[in-house]
Amino acid sequence: MDQIEDIDDEDGGLEIEGELITSEDAVNGVGDRSDVVIRTPESSLSSSLSGDDSTGSENSKFYIQYVFIPFVFLTVALLGGLRIGIADNEFIFYRPALSCLIFASLLLVLFFRSRLIKLEGWFSEEFSGLRNSANGAVLLSLFFASVQVFNSLIPEQGLPFWVIGFCFLWTLWNNLFSEFDSRTLLRSLGGLFGFAFVAKYLVLANLVAAGNGSWLERIWEDPGREAFTYFLNLPLFAPATGYIQFFGLVFYLIGLYFLSPLSIAMAEAEASRS
Amino acid sequence: MKEKHIQIIGLLVTLFYGVFVAWVYWAAPKSIEDASIKARETIDRATSKARVMTNTYQVDQEKLAEGLTAFRNENFIVARDLFEKADKEQRDPDTQFYIAYAFYREGWGRFSNDDELFRKGLERVNRVIRLDEDYKSPDPNLSLRNPAELKNELVEGLRITAADFNPLKLTRQRK
Repeated sequence: MDQIEDIDDEDGGLEIEGELITSEDAVNGVGDRSDVVIRTPESSLSSSLSGDDSTGSENSKFYIQYVFIPFVFLTVALLGGLRIGIADNEFIFYRPALSCLIFASLLLVLFFRSRLIKLEGWFSEEFSGLRNSANGAVLLSLFFASVQVFNSLIPEQGLPFWVIGFCFLWTLWNNLFSEFDSRTLLRSLGGLFGFAFVAKYLVLANLVAAGNGSWLERIWEDPGREAFTYFLNLPLFAPATGYIQFFGLVFYLIGLYFLSPLSIAMAEAEASRS
Repeated sequence: MKEKHIQIIGLLVTLFYGVFVAWVYWAAPKSIEDASIKARETIDRATSKARVMTNTYQVDQEKLAEGLTAFRNENFIVARDLFEKADKEQRDPDTQFYIAYAFYREGWGRFSNDDELFRKGLERVNRVIRLDEDYKSPDPNLSLRNPAELKNELVEGLRITAADFNPLKLTRQRK
């Protein structure tokens, strides 16, 4: 195996550091691709400026993509269906309705269309099976988190379930045929989810009444609220539910913020190409 | 740490956390304490299912013996409870036959039978037949040792016929 050092290209200043692999080495299994490093002047400058901690920052990028983001999204999936009972603060876990799965699928299609997530940057034949699986796990956690965000924001039953569900469907369906860039889509989603949160946890939750006193007493004291309670037919939850769902929604948006359109390896390949 | 190690860690974290989230929604615990109780139950159930799959499943002999004592003392409710605990996966024909027999004996009446208990007994005896077509109880204290005989007794008990109004029927004995 011969050592090659500092081959300087006169025009571009390209520096190749690596080892020449002879046929004998190849037979012995020496000569992994990782032995050859192609370094551009910019990257070597930046690494020298940053004190050569590129491996550490790369590792942290991988940790964010493969550990932190799925953890955040699965936390959203855990919290999305959690309600706290008003009687004795017991946990109530609402399983997502079928419509939540449909809305989440539409949302993922929107993510792909607006290039918020570039599918070809996450799955490729050139990637190893492990990398494809790890990337798949990240996107799967995103899907479950999206399902649970809808589960959190759509009222549990009755007329409000259908009305707000229809509003979501209408908006997502219209967005499917609009031209979006990823930033506009994120803003639009933030607005949509924020509005739905206010509608459910501030407006509707305050329209329905907790049952204190007899039915007649309640009608006498607040007939409007009692009428809304009857017509909306919504289950009552402890105020802690709103706080939990608020943090669930915030975690979801944090997860989306950290999610890059391309997986790290692809992003690096694109950066080196450009 | 290498990229692939982080990917493996990420996959494991996602898998375990995902399974935990799915379990939470399946078990729907009402509180943290309830979650620990349900987790223990799930582990017990998974262990016995794994034993069934690996052909190492065995009934709890201690509970079966206690159940038999209760059965012979005509304490059928306790007996059935102990039999259920002894054979959680409902895989042992002996135990299932005793459960069916306990339903029969408790439901039997000189004037009329308890249809609900007889129906449950019928379900269990059918299970015994499914588990072992050629089953015969080794217990010499039982008058009906064959599932077909017990099944016939339960089916006849559920049916209303002219023979039910025969006054001589009052002299019949429980088997």
